[in-house]
Amino acid sequence: MIMEEKNITEKEGLFLISQMIQTARQEQNDDGKGWIIWGWVLFLASISSVLLVWFKWDLQLFFFWNIFGGIALAYFVYELFANEFFRKRRKVRTYAGDLFARLNAGFFISLIFIIVFINVGARALYHRYNEFNLMPITMGFALLINLYAFWILIYGAALNFKPSIIAAYATWGIGFVALFSKTFEHTMLLHALAALVGYIIPGHIANKEFKKIRGKDKVVESV
Amino acid sequence: MKVFKDLDPILHSQLRLAVMSLLISVKEAEFTFLREKTNSTAGNLSVQIQKLRDAGYIDVIKQFKDNYPQTICKITKKGIEAFELYVKALQEYINR
Repeated sequence: MIMEEKNITEKEGLFLISQMIQTARQEQNDDGKGWIIWGWVLFLASISSVLLVWFKWDLQLFFFWNIFGGIALAYFVYELFANEFFRKRRKVRTYAGDLFARLNAGFFISLIFIIVFINVGARALYHRYNEFNLMPITMGFALLINLYAFWILIYGAALNFKPSIIAAYATWGIGFVALFSKTFEHTMLLHALAALVGYIIPGHIANKEFKKIRGKDKVVESV
Repeated sequence: MKVFKDLDPILHSQLRLAVMSLLISVKEAEFTFLREKTNSTAGNLSVQIQKLRDAGYIDVIKQFKDNYPQTICKITKKGIEAFELYVKALQEYINR
């Protein structure tokens, strides 16, 4: 239907308003792919680290986390370039979009902060007592899980996406348990569980709902 | 068709109301986005946007980005108030 300048009835007016608001809201939908990828990368790095210890692979303890760091850095650089050169200009700017951009920036700064804390703390304790101390690693990963939960809660609340809100509280619970972890493997298993509960499962639910909404739109457009 | 003289005549038009409903839900939107979502012609949309601008309901920023002209529309405080009053009035008419 082509819109033009014409008067409308009160019912048509309210219908039009709700239809347009719904259309604009779809710009804020998330397909969940980002959560799924991020979740799987975290999950695989954690599980690989557990396997590394169990099977006594001849690798550094943080070998898979270093690979993860490389992938994360490469993705960050790709995103910068994609936004600057390849990606189509966004035609609309939403309040939620702006909030997510700042939230993500804060998340990555905090993430780096905690990673530095783990490394500096582990080195400092090693030099002081001349033996490997697990404490900064356990605390650091518990803090990381806590940070994921915070990000998931804000994201879920802004999108009014209930699975993420529930997942955030569950992730906090896992983070709390991780504070009392006694072994590196235990910490890694809890971290993998947090990635699964916090990112992978809600991400797949979001992706399913996104496809359902897009499917409905196609039907409406074709009528 | 019942005509509502009490309703804001600037908003009581299909295309202008559609534009305002879109703009109230986002921070700002490009002209092309509004045209796509309202399925209107560029000429007609320009005229209606100008009317909303003259009424002080929206701000229109014209600029160049990557060598392309870009027209960005953003709802004003006055526009939000007018829209809220309009929706309230519509609801009152329906509940009568």
